[in-house]
Amino acid sequence: MSTMAPDRIELRRDNTATADVQLPAVKSYTQATDEILDTLRVTKAWFAGLGVAVLCLLIGGTAWAYQIYMGLGVAGYRPPVMWGVYIITFVFWIGIGHAGTLISAILYLFRAGFRTTIYRCAEAMTVFAVMTAGLFPILHLGRPWKFFWLIPYPHWRLIWPQFKSPLVWDVFAVLTYLTVSATFLFIGLIPDIAVLRDRETNPVRKQIFGVLSFGWRNSDREWRHFARAYLFLAAFSTPLVLSVHSVVSFDFAMANLPGWHTTIFPPYFVAGAIFSGMGMVFTIIIPVRRWFKLKHYVTINVLDAGAKLCLFTSLVVGCAYLTEFFIAWYSGSEVEQSYFWNRVFGQWWWAAWIMLTCNAILPLLLFSQRLRRNTTFLFTLSIFINLGMWYERFVIIVPSMSHEFEPWKWGPYAPTYIDWAILLGSFGWFSMWFLLFIKQLPVLAIAEVKEIVPPRMRHAHAEPDPEGHSIAPGLIGSYEVR
Amino acid sequence: MSERATPAGEPKAGTSRRTFLKVLGAASATTAVAACSSNTGEELIPYLVHPDETVPGVSNYYASTCRECAAGCGLLLEVRDGRTFKVEGNPDHPLNRGALCSRGQASVQGLYNPDRYRQPMLRKNGRLTPISWTQATTLLTQQLAGIQGAGKAGGAVFINQHETGSFPGFLDAWLEGYGMPPHLSYAALSDGAVIAANKQSYGVAWPSLDFTAAKIVVSFGADFLETWGASVPQQLSFADARAKGVDAPRVIYVGPRRSLTGMNADQWIPCKPGSELAIANALGGTGTMAQAAQSADVPAATLEALASALAGAPSLLLAGGSMELALAVNALNQKFGNVGRSVLTTQPIESFEGMTTDAELTDAIERMRAGQVPLLFVRGVNPVFTSPRSAKVADAISKVPFKVSFSSYPDETSELCDLVLPDHHAIESWGDAQPIPGVISLQQPGMDPVYDTRATADVLLALAKTNPKLAAAHPAGNYREYLISRYPGGTTAFTAALIKGIGNGTVAGQRPHRAAVPATARAAANIAGTSGDFYLVVYPSPLLEDGSGANKPWLQEIPDPVTKVCWQTVIEVGTSAAARLAIDPGDVLRVETPAGAITAPAFVYPGLRGDTIAVAFGRGHTAYGRYAQNVGVSPGDVLPVAFDAKSGAMAWTSTKVKVTKTGDFVPLVSAEGSARQHGRGVAQAIDAGDLARTEPAEVPVSPMHGNEQTEEHMPGDASHEFLPGLRAPVAQDAQGDLPSDDNLKGMYDPKHWSGMAKRRWAMTIDLARCTGCSACVTACYAENNVPTVGARHQSSATAGLEGQPGANILRGREMAWIRLERFYEGGETLDESFETRFVPMLCQHCGNAPCEPVCPVYATYHSPDGLNVQVYNRCVGTRYCSNNCPYKVRYFNWFGYGEPARPQYAWPERMNWQLNPDVTVRGKGVMEKCSMCVQRIRESEHRAKLEGRALVADEFTTSCAQACPSNAITFGDAADPAWSVTKLIADRRGYHVFEELNTFTAVVYLKKINHPAPSAPAGR
Repeated sequence: MSTMAPDRIELRRDNTATADVQLPAVKSYTQATDEILDTLRVTKAWFAGLGVAVLCLLIGGTAWAYQIYMGLGVAGYRPPVMWGVYIITFVFWIGIGHAGTLISAILYLFRAGFRTTIYRCAEAMTVFAVMTAGLFPILHLGRPWKFFWLIPYPHWRLIWPQFKSPLVWDVFAVLTYLTVSATFLFIGLIPDIAVLRDRETNPVRKQIFGVLSFGWRNSDREWRHFARAYLFLAAFSTPLVLSVHSVVSFDFAMANLPGWHTTIFPPYFVAGAIFSGMGMVFTIIIPVRRWFKLKHYVTINVLDAGAKLCLFTSLVVGCAYLTEFFIAWYSGSEVEQSYFWNRVFGQWWWAAWIMLTCNAILPLLLFSQRLRRNTTFLFTLSIFINLGMWYERFVIIVPSMSHEFEPWKWGPYAPTYIDWAILLGSFGWFSMWFLLFIKQLPVLAIAEVKEIVPPRMRHAHAEPDPEGHSIAPGLIGSYEVR
Repeated sequence: MSERATPAGEPKAGTSRRTFLKVLGAASATTAVAACSSNTGEELIPYLVHPDETVPGVSNYYASTCRECAAGCGLLLEVRDGRTFKVEGNPDHPLNRGALCSRGQASVQGLYNPDRYRQPMLRKNGRLTPISWTQATTLLTQQLAGIQGAGKAGGAVFINQHETGSFPGFLDAWLEGYGMPPHLSYAALSDGAVIAANKQSYGVAWPSLDFTAAKIVVSFGADFLETWGASVPQQLSFADARAKGVDAPRVIYVGPRRSLTGMNADQWIPCKPGSELAIANALGGTGTMAQAAQSADVPAATLEALASALAGAPSLLLAGGSMELALAVNALNQKFGNVGRSVLTTQPIESFEGMTTDAELTDAIERMRAGQVPLLFVRGVNPVFTSPRSAKVADAISKVPFKVSFSSYPDETSELCDLVLPDHHAIESWGDAQPIPGVISLQQPGMDPVYDTRATADVLLALAKTNPKLAAAHPAGNYREYLISRYPGGTTAFTAALIKGIGNGTVAGQRPHRAAVPATARAAANIAGTSGDFYLVVYPSPLLEDGSGANKPWLQEIPDPVTKVCWQTVIEVGTSAAARLAIDPGDVLRVETPAGAITAPAFVYPGLRGDTIAVAFGRGHTAYGRYAQNVGVSPGDVLPVAFDAKSGAMAWTSTKVKVTKTGDFVPLVSAEGSARQHGRGVAQAIDAGDLARTEPAEVPVSPMHGNEQTEEHMPGDASHEFLPGLRAPVAQDAQGDLPSDDNLKGMYDPKHWSGMAKRRWAMTIDLARCTGCSACVTACYAENNVPTVGARHQSSATAGLEGQPGANILRGREMAWIRLERFYEGGETLDESFETRFVPMLCQHCGNAPCEPVCPVYATYHSPDGLNVQVYNRCVGTRYCSNNCPYKVRYFNWFGYGEPARPQYAWPERMNWQLNPDVTVRGKGVMEKCSMCVQRIRESEHRAKLEGRALVADEFTTSCAQACPSNAITFGDAADPAWSVTKLIADRRGYHVFEELNTFTAVVYLKKINHPAPSAPAGR
C-alpha cells in the first residue's frame, strides 16, 4: 500500500479488501497492457518448468501404458477397495476446477470486483483441471479402450448406456463442464487476443490471433455483444458449479456403502470443491504474481478476499464433517457407526486426521487478518489445503470400501508406485497445459483490468492548453483511449 | 536414388519391377501355404467319423475311481471331445454318494499338471534326461537281470502307494516272479495307530461310522471331517446327523488343537497333547477323573459332565493318535454299546486294509542306508518329503545303486532316482478298488494319455513278457485284459459294471492282509522327555494332505478351512501364548528342536492351547513343480523320528519345541478380513432348544435396524414379511404375480417368448450341515474356469510383492466365486470358549440387486428367470458393481489371467485342457462372479426342450451343490413347489444375509444349530 498515490480515491480502510478492488499502482492503460503482455516473454526458468512438467507427464504416461498392458493389478487396488488413487484424483481435479468457475462466473454475477485480476488464471486452471480430471475415469477402467461405451451413441445393436448409473451422469456432467468452461474462457479472451494480434509482428501468429479474436475491432457493437455473451455464459456456468460436483458426489451418494449413502454429499462436495479450488488458486497465483511481477495487480486485498472465501468454504466443509458423524450416530445403524468410528479411530485414523487438520483446523487461522495478508502463509496453507482435500477424497472413498457391510472382506489398501506415477503424471499434464497457456495468452484479463484502472485524463481542466483556453467549453477532460 | 539419374534406355541395376512382382507373388503364396499347415496338425473337431456316443460339444461321463487317497471314492469323469475336464462324485457309488472332496476334484489338475514328466527320464551325468520307452524298458530289464544274476533280488524294495483292488496282488505276483519280496503299501501321515487298534478290537481296519445313530459324539483328536479315515462318507453321515436338528448329536472335541472337525464340535475340551488317553481311561473307569483332569489341564467338572453325558445317550467315540488311545476308545464304544449301532464293524471300509506301517518303511530305509538294497522302486509315494528330515531318507535312498521311480511328477523322491518311468495319471489308467466288502469300484481312463507316460501295470507286464520264464505267468496282453480276466463274470459283467463304475463281488486274490504288528520293537515316542517351551502338533493339511496336493494350484489357493491362509505355512500359536509372548499375526517365529529348525509367520488361533503350537504338513517342497517348490516350510524339518510303540506308526505329535521371535514380519496370505461378525448377522445360529419350541419363529429382527417394526406392509419386503423373501417386486413381476396384468414394470415380461420368466432360480445353504470343508470352492474353480492367482510366477507384476507366492491374495485378489467364511462367536476373553460358524458366500442373485443400476454399460442385469447376469464382453471394468455389492462377491480380473503370453496366465500349457468349454475364460479388466452355473441351467433347459418335456424338479444342480459332501447346498426353482429348494426356503431356520438392505436375495441360509451342554444356559 505504500505505493498508493495520495491523489487516489481513499479507501475507507486502508487494509480492507472490498468488492471495489483498486489497483493504485497501475497508472495507465499502457502500463497495464505493457506489464501484462510482458509476462508472455519466454524465459529459461519457464522452459525448465515446462521440461519438468513434461517429464512428469512422461513418467505418468509410461506408467499408464504399462498398466494398460499388464492390467489394473499393477496398481494398489486391494478388493474390496475397488476404487483408489485414480478416482480420488478424479474428484480432486474436478473439485479444483470449481473455484475457477466460481470466481469467473458467480463472482462476476455478484459483481465482486476482486475477481478481476485472478479470474483468467482461475478459469484456465478450471479448464486444465477438468481436462486432467476427465482422464481419470478412463484411466481407472479395466478396459480403457472401451470407454466410449459410456457415451450414448446410436448403434445397430440398440445398446445404450444404463442411464440409471451415476457414472453415465458423470460423463454428461464432466463433458458439459469442460465444454462450457472452455467456451467461457475463450470468450473472455477475445479482446485480449485482439491486443496480442495488434502487437504481434510474426505474420503467422498474427494471422492465428486474428482468427482467434474473430476479427475484433473494438467497436461499441462488439463490446456490447461481448458483454452480453460473457454475461450469458457466466449465468450458464453458474448452475454448473453446483451441478457438476453434485453429480460427481452422486457416484458415491447413490451407492449403498456406509459413508457414501448420504444426502449431504452434493452440498458438501460443492463446498469442498470450491475450498480445494481456492487452495489451488492460491498455490498458482501467489508464485505467478511474484514471478511475473504482478503484485500490484493481484494485490494483497485480492488475496485477502480470496482467503475469506476459503475460510467460509472451510467452515462449510468442517460443518459437513461434523454432520456426517452426527448422522452416523443418529442413524442407529451399526454399520454406519462402525464405519465412522473406524474412519477416525480405526485403521484410517491418520488419513482422517490429515483431512480434518488440513481442511477444518488449519484454515481457522484465516480468521487472523494478519495471516490472510501474509502471502508466505497463504501459500503454505494452500499446499496443506490441496493435500487435505486429496485426503478428503481418500477418506471418503477408501475407508468406506475397506470397512463396509461384509466383515469377512474388510481389508487394507496401499497405492503402488504405479498409482503415484500416474498421480504425478496428472500434475505434469496439468502443469504442462498451464505453463503453455501463461506464455501464449495473458494470465490477467487486460480488458477487465483496464475497466478498474481509473482512466488517466489526456486533458484536464486544471491544465489549460498553451493557448490558454479549454479544448471545449464544459469538457472536463478526455480519456486516453489506447 | 541413384537409379533416378540413369539415362532412359539403360538397364537398371538391381531388381526389375517384373521380377520383383514375381518374387513377391511366389513368396506370398509359399508363406500362405506354409501357414496352412502346422507341425502339430491340430484338429478343430477331433473326429470326422465320430465314435459312438461321442458328439462334439456334448459331454460324456465315465465312471471311475478316485486315487487321491486310499479311500477309493467313485468318480464321474466329464469328458468332452476327448478331454476330461471335470471330476465329480459318482452318485451311484456307495462310499461317496455323489459327493467329492477337494482333493478328489483337484485330481484333474494333477492330470494336466504342467510339470509332469512327459516321457521316461534317465540320470546322465547327474541330471535326469529324457529317453525313449524302449531304452527305458531295456535298461530296466538289464538291471533286473543283473540283480537276479547276482542273487540280490531278495533285497529289492518296491514302495507303492497304498491302494486296494487288483494291483497290489498283481504287483506282488510280478515281484515274486523276479524273486523280489512283496511290496510295501504305504500311505504317509495315515492313521496307522488307529488301524492297528481297529484290527485288534474289531478285526477290521476301519469300521464305517453312523453318526445319525448317536446322540453324543466325542472325538479324541480324530479329525473325521478332514484326513482321518474316509472323510467323504464320514462327512456325509455327520451332516445327515447334524441336519436332524433337535435330535442331532452333540459333538465334543478333545484335543490340544481345534481342527476343522473341532470347529464343527459344540464343545472343545483343550487337553494337553498326549493326555487324551488319561481322559479316555478315566471315562472307561481305569483312572480317576481328578487325575485325568490334572494331566489334561482341564477342569474336572468338564470331564465329569462329559462322563455323565456319555452315560445317558447313544454315543460315538473316535480317536486319533496313539494305538493305546484308540484301543481305549474302542473299549469305550464297546462299553457304551456303540459297536453295531454307530460303529458298524460289520460294514467296514476296506480301503485301509493291509497298509504298511511307518516302522516297516523305516526298516526298509535303514536297509537301504546299510547298502543291502540293490534296487528300489517307488510308485505314487514321496518318502523323502513325507518322512521327518531327521530320518535322512534321501541319504539312505542315495545309497541304493539303482532307483526306479514310477512317479509322474518331479517330486523329491523321483528327483533322486536313476530311472523315471512316469505312470499314467489315475484318470488315464485302468484299475479297480475294493472300498467296501462286496463292492468293486472300477477305474477306467477318461481320455488318452496327456503325455508319453505308461501305466505301471502295463510296464511291468511288458517287462515280464520279455522274460521267457515269466511270460507264461502273465498271459494278459495289458492290465485291462488282466482286470477283465479276473473280474467275476468276465467281460460281459465287467463292461456292464463300467457303466455305473461299481460291480458286485470281491477282487479275487487280493494280497493277504498283513499282520499289523511291526517286525521290530520301537522305542515309544516320549513327548515329556523332550525339551522346549511348546508342544508341537503336526497335522496333515486338510487340502494338501501329505503334501501330494501341493502341486495343484486349486489346493494351494483355497484357504485352509481353519486358518484361512493359503500359499503359505504358518505357525499356529494360541491366543494366550500370543498375548504372553507379544506375538502378533505375521511375526516370524523360529521353531527349533534338536532335529532342526523352521521359520514361518505366526497365526494367532484361539483354538489352540497356550502351551502348544501347531504346523500343518503339506507345504515346504524342495521340488514337485512350480506350484509346490519353495512355497512354505515343512514341519517335517523339525520332527524327530518317533513312533507309536505299539503300532509302529509315526508319532507326529511327539516333541516339544523352542519358539523364538526372529523380529521379522511376513504378512499372512489370508482370505480373512475380520473373523468376527460385528453383529452383522452373516452367519446366524439357533440353539437346538429354541428350535424345539413349537411356537412359530418370530419375525427376524435385523441386527442393523433395531427392533422397530412398522405396521405398514410392504409387498416383498423381506424384513417385514418372513420368508421366502424372494417375492421382490421384480421377482413378483417376473412371475406374473403383480395385481394388474398391464403392470409390466421394468423388463420382466411374464409373457416373454423365452418362457423362462416363471422361474426363480434360488438356493438354500444349510449351515447346520456345512462343515466348512471347502469342497464347494474347488468345485466352483473346476466348473467355472476360475483362475488361481497366487502362484509365484503370477506375482511378477504385483507391485511391491514381486515374486512372492500368494502376492495377489495378499492384495485380496483371489477369484473364488464362492468362498467359505469362518466366523468366531464368543471367546473374546482368553478363558471363554468360542464357537465357529462357516458361511459359504457367493453371489446372492438379489431380486433387487444393488450392482445392476450402477453399471454404466448394462454389463450386469437381471435375467427373466431371476439370475443376476454378468456380461463379460460388455464390461468395461468400472468396478462400481463391486463397490455396491454388500456381499462382496464380485471379482475383478486385475491381470490377464487368461492370456497365455502373460506371466499371470493361470493355466500354463495342458492345464488349459481342464477348462470347461461351456464357460468363457474371462479377459483382463472385466468383472466376474457366480453365475449359479448358468451353463448348467441352460444345458438342462435345452435338453428338456429337445426331449419335448418340461424340466423335472431337481433334475440338475450347480457344481457346488453337486460336490458338497455335506449336502448343505440345494439349488432349484423357487417358483415351482416341486423343487426341493422351495420346501427348504420355507424352513423356519431360513434367513437372508443383510435382508435389511432389501436386496431380496435368491440364496437363503438355514441357521446353524447349536447344541449347548444341557446344563449350560441357552444361547450365548
